[in-house]
Amino acid sequence: MASTEAKPAGPAAPVTQVVAPTSRLKAILSNQQFLLLVVWLAMVIGFTLIKPIFFSVDVAANILLDWAPLVLIALGQLIVVISAGIDLSVGATVGFSGVIGAFAMKSLTASGQATPTTLIAGVLVCVAVGALVGTINALLINYARLVPFIATLVTLGAASGLSLVLTKGAPIMGGPTDAIMLVTPWIGPFSKPVVVIIGIVVLLWLFVHKARFGRYTFAIGSNAFAARAAGINVKRHIAKVYVLSGVLAGLAGFFFYLRLNGGAPTSGFGMELDAIAAVVIGGAALAGGVGRVSGTVIGALILTTVTSGLIIIGVDPSWKRVVVAVLIAIAATLQALRKTEGRAS
Amino acid sequence: MTERGDVIYEARNVGKRYGAVVALDDVNLKLHAGEVVGLVGDNGAGKSTLVKCLSGAHNPTSGQLLLDGVERVWKSPHDAIQAGVETLYQDSGLAPHLSVSSNVFLGREQLKPGLLGKMGFLAQKSMDKQAHEDLERVGIAVPASGRSVAQLSGGQRQAVAIGRAVAWASRVIILDEPTNHLGARQAGEVLHVIERAKAQGLGVIFISHTLPHVLQVTDRVVVLRLGRVVKDAPTSEFDADTLLGTITGLIAD
Repeated sequence: MASTEAKPAGPAAPVTQVVAPTSRLKAILSNQQFLLLVVWLAMVIGFTLIKPIFFSVDVAANILLDWAPLVLIALGQLIVVISAGIDLSVGATVGFSGVIGAFAMKSLTASGQATPTTLIAGVLVCVAVGALVGTINALLINYARLVPFIATLVTLGAASGLSLVLTKGAPIMGGPTDAIMLVTPWIGPFSKPVVVIIGIVVLLWLFVHKARFGRYTFAIGSNAFAARAAGINVKRHIAKVYVLSGVLAGLAGFFFYLRLNGGAPTSGFGMELDAIAAVVIGGAALAGGVGRVSGTVIGALILTTVTSGLIIIGVDPSWKRVVVAVLIAIAATLQALRKTEGRAS
Repeated sequence: MTERGDVIYEARNVGKRYGAVVALDDVNLKLHAGEVVGLVGDNGAGKSTLVKCLSGAHNPTSGQLLLDGVERVWKSPHDAIQAGVETLYQDSGLAPHLSVSSNVFLGREQLKPGLLGKMGFLAQKSMDKQAHEDLERVGIAVPASGRSVAQLSGGQRQAVAIGRAVAWASRVIILDEPTNHLGARQAGEVLHVIERAKAQGLGVIFISHTLPHVLQVTDRVVVLRLGRVVKDAPTSEFDADTLLGTITGLIAD
């Protein structure tokens, strides 16, 4: 466009057309979110063909209850991964915040507080515990100069260990007994907390893809030096990213509390790996700078659908790990292929 | 071209030590509006350290920096940027995964008006449009500002990085090896952008190992050796041989 109108005195247009326009069909087919949706639909259809009862409100409700806490920590993980970090502490934070929240709700209930007040206090405690773990991660990364892998491995150990010590391994019960009613279906298969979590997902999508918060996260993950040179306060932003991941893990901890009607120290055990799997299947690059909220949301949905589906069709659910492993391998291969393609052009 | 504006940026007796190592020793440098000063020297001569001091990345251990005659102490590169001093670092100016326009606006994003803007929502369309205009204004034609920088060639990336710096700079632009790794044609385009920046009245500091480029585009050359300024003279006093001789120390100061 501009190149044809360059004034005689102007320079030869330095930037010319670099990439041939791809056909629309090819663009859709190479869109990872679209491919994921196809994979997920194929799973739903496959499980339904084997066991028609798979296609029911009850099963959908169950999948959503599994999906909701996973998508929270997976999106926290996604934002960390976009910034070129990793957060191994999210699973331990789920259990730890749930336990501390349960202690708080137990004592409030014992002192005769009504259920709504107790639950609001409980969610605040869970979020505060998550924020605390996130803050410790940020301090270890920014000031103790630990790499994120080590920093969050430290808090993983500390949080999961403390959860077990404080509870002696047993769930903390004694909160409001009617809280579990909240996770029963409300509209179709959707319970109220699931609807709230879907709202949070939409907000996160906006903040990652439409707002300055996300822009800075991508910039730091893409080239931290350039981000710093452009005047972005990289340390402060990294701190926000890990605190957000912790807060989301705290919310997931509270959700598990509702589901179990108690705080179990083991409730988030190993979930960091599911979260990372959802993020990778969703097309994010662990090297940073790449990722979509929609991809992670569908990635988490695929993981939870596989688990439920295998149980319902009567296959040992341990096969889930194998299926997930294959999906990760495919997603990572696509990522690598796309990278070499980008270099070639 | 011989008409020079006022002194806009000045380093006065600047020294920088890293422990016992003296990286810069009593460096004086004056930059006038509408002037291109070439900063040359061998590896380890102190060019990068001086750039870091001038751009606010490091603080000098001694001496002063004066912008428009006023002493400034940069707390961060952001501080210097806000005062109108833009720096393009060697090979690392852009975030490759972001679009051209996101890079042009990196660190100074436009927000949507009203409440959405207060919540940090970006005015992306307006930035796309303006990035395109800004780059054209400084002499760089980019087909689509929505394209990610990783999809551009090395020369195009460098053109965008320089265009970005020139578009934002209001006083001074510091270019560290901007023609590195570029072909002859692309380097020529970069030099053209520098001439445009000069014509706009910016002060330009041009750091390069490519002496023909230095001789072509600068008005004055400052030669650093072992952390000291050994020569500060109009470019017309040099040719390729005498400049090289001064850098290496084969020609006596």
